[in-house]
Amino acid sequence: MQTEVSESQRTARAAALKGFSVGVVVVGLIALVAVAAIRETAKPRQVEVATNSAFGHSERPPMTAAEETYAHALWPVHAQVKQDAVKMTFAGLAYKMGDIKRAAVKDRVALLTPKFESALTEINKLQPPASMRELHSEYVEAIKLYRDASVIMVKVAADGRDVHLAEAQERSERASTLTLKVGDTLWPGEYKPN
Amino acid sequence: MKNSMKHALVAAGLAAAATLAAPVAQAQVCSVWLVENSRFMGVPFGAFMPDRAFVPGSTSPSNNINTVDLPVNVGVIKCGNELILYDAGWNQTEYHKMTGTAHWSPLSKQIEQIGFKAADVKKIIVGHGHWDHAGSLDEFPNAVLYIQREELRGIEWALNYPHPRISAVNDSPGSCARTPACGYPSKTMDSIYGKVLRGKAVIVDGEMDVLPGVKIHPAFRAHTAGSQLLEVNTAIGKLMFGSDAYSSWEGIRDWQIANPQQTDTVQQFLAYEKCYKITGGYQNCVCAHEPLSYSDKYPLTKNSWVGMNGGRLAEITLAPGEKSRKP
Repeated sequence: MQTEVSESQRTARAAALKGFSVGVVVVGLIALVAVAAIRETAKPRQVEVATNSAFGHSERPPMTAAEETYAHALWPVHAQVKQDAVKMTFAGLAYKMGDIKRAAVKDRVALLTPKFESALTEINKLQPPASMRELHSEYVEAIKLYRDASVIMVKVAADGRDVHLAEAQERSERASTLTLKVGDTLWPGEYKPN
Repeated sequence: MKNSMKHALVAAGLAAAATLAAPVAQAQVCSVWLVENSRFMGVPFGAFMPDRAFVPGSTSPSNNINTVDLPVNVGVIKCGNELILYDAGWNQTEYHKMTGTAHWSPLSKQIEQIGFKAADVKKIIVGHGHWDHAGSLDEFPNAVLYIQREELRGIEWALNYPHPRISAVNDSPGSCARTPACGYPSKTMDSIYGKVLRGKAVIVDGEMDVLPGVKIHPAFRAHTAGSQLLEVNTAIGKLMFGSDAYSSWEGIRDWQIANPQQTDTVQQFLAYEKCYKITGGYQNCVCAHEPLSYSDKYPLTKNSWVGMNGGRLAEITLAPGEKSRKP
């Protein structure tokens, strides 16, 4: 069935359609602008990329001021502890490679015990922010392990039994795992790809 | 006088004949794979290779690349029933989380992709003792570590040097790349020492035949004090693993230094020369951090695929009778 439509009806319908189309476009544009504005204002703050390394980059979110202060205060302790820990390991290695006698193990390692004690004193003075209390406890634990390792290791001078070295090495490796973890968290550029 | 000369000549002749007649250990033909333990992302090219430093606006192919991604390549070598690793990658999960690295997986898991178990690894020959090359030793309890005495003595020398800027393991965050004791965290050193204490280490003095067809060559100061190369006999000729004595294949091809950490650059060039001499060129030199690894541009490594966590692997060569482990 066909319906007859007059010229004036057609003109009116075309005008209404045109108006409707313009309206849709205008509303669409307004909606677009509104959505863009909402998205822009709601956009999360870009996480800054810290570039404290000349070799590679870090994706670590920025530390708070309190965390920075803590990391800054821990660094000199950490730098010395790492050095002393590796020296302790090398006393054992030098002995096992036949480069030094067992008495020399004691000479070298006994010097390190008070240094680990001193590091423990220093670190106990630090007040970690709440976000770093766990890391702090791990670091304290690590230094205690190093100190205990040094005390055990010197016993080899008395009886020449490698069991002391093995016992000390086990503690030292546990401590090293902890200090490495803390170091990688606080100073991601600490060790370079090399 | 004449008689004694004659006797000497006869004796020498007999000795030579005896030498020729003696049973000579047959060099085995080994199979070799390369595993990407991780990738250091976005490293400035100039920090890796000074001659390739980025020059803004340059159209020279040598200077128009800003950053590169460096794989950490580990060699997996099978000679008969003997499974050997050249280098041992690294395992510091915090580092992985906090810095620009990607595609890391535990090395012991990665080798499972080519059908090997950690317990099967009998020997680990580290090119040097840095944390990213000797960092997974604990994952391979049955393996005997091979490390140069010179490497250990070099670290100890540095640790006991009187000037703190030289003796420091590192003196400030991010600044230690070229101090001689840098790159050797206590964890890595404890792992090495643990191997020594458990009777699972061979302290190497210079050259050493590990197996027939597998030989260690010293490359002292080519990257670190006691760097060492590994010659491996294969069906495609001799391969020479360089670790960081030649970190870059483009470097060894173009005679440009790479990864100059604790490096005497003359010694690095001599390590390059050793690879050229032993393998007959640069194609069979296996490099630890070549950015072109696992692509046609580094042909030795082109037979590659992508494995767990996006880490890549390459099947370099197979011994007669060895079946492909490429999926």
